[in-house]
Amino acid sequence: MAQKLPDIHKNPLAPIDMVRYSGASGDFNEIHTVPKVARSKGLKDPIVHGMLLMGWAAAAIDEWFPDRKRAKFTVRFVGMAHAGEAFVIEGILTTENAGELQIKDASGTGKLVGSFEME
Amino acid sequence: MEQEFHYAPFRVEAGKIREFALALGLRNPVYFNKEAALDAGYPDIPAPPTYTTVIDFWNERDFYQLFRVWGLDPNDILHGEQSFEYEKDIISGDVISAKAVLTDRFDKKDKRFYQIETIYRNQGNEVVRVGRATLIERREQHGAEIAGHS
Repeated sequence: MAQKLPDIHKNPLAPIDMVRYSGASGDFNEIHTVPKVARSKGLKDPIVHGMLLMGWAAAAIDEWFPDRKRAKFTVRFVGMAHAGEAFVIEGILTTENAGELQIKDASGTGKLVGSFEME
Repeated sequence: MEQEFHYAPFRVEAGKIREFALALGLRNPVYFNKEAALDAGYPDIPAPPTYTTVIDFWNERDFYQLFRVWGLDPNDILHGEQSFEYEKDIISGDVISAKAVLTDRFDKKDKRFYQIETIYRNQGNEVVRVGRATLIERREQHGAEIAGHS
């Protein structure tokens, strides 16, 4: 009974958006905001906080099911995301109370895969 | 090999929820407006689903202290997996206590994996959330970006 959920498109993040999320969340790991540190760790650019992507994914579930309560939400961060990339959140409902989602960039490369259960 | 870390009790505040919700681009009015929260059946403004990050990182005994105690460099750590069980809403005005337990640690190739379970309780000692994280420590630096963590 897999049912496709409407795609949710996210505009590209600017570097300042990652600074903003660092401040709001308190996660000041410099690989997310300081290019020099990111490069010294072998990354080409600062990477988006995984928890920012998970926050978007959780909001997508709320948007798909505004009247239902989350019971469980699990994600795996499968690829690094950067400022300037546009993302799409895709989801399917696999049973009445459970579904799967993923966040991909414009080329279709996965950044996050997740599963969720609702009460 | 069980290691425990206790966060300091943390007061959940509407202003901080608002700031966090804005940083995530959330649009649901329940995070910004008490009337909207009451209308939706909450006793006050609720915390967004990933708000426990704020409890971990803006804590008097924060995640960086956990890293130090467990001997980790935060800039060498990648977040591999995260899950939450939602037992009860976290609401503005709650005081949340949390205990993190290192439940497993193992090496795979040049990476070390840490599994951490964190149980969050409110002022009534009710479990509100259970978080499970897999953190990946890169033991060697690579010239190229490491894609994927599976």
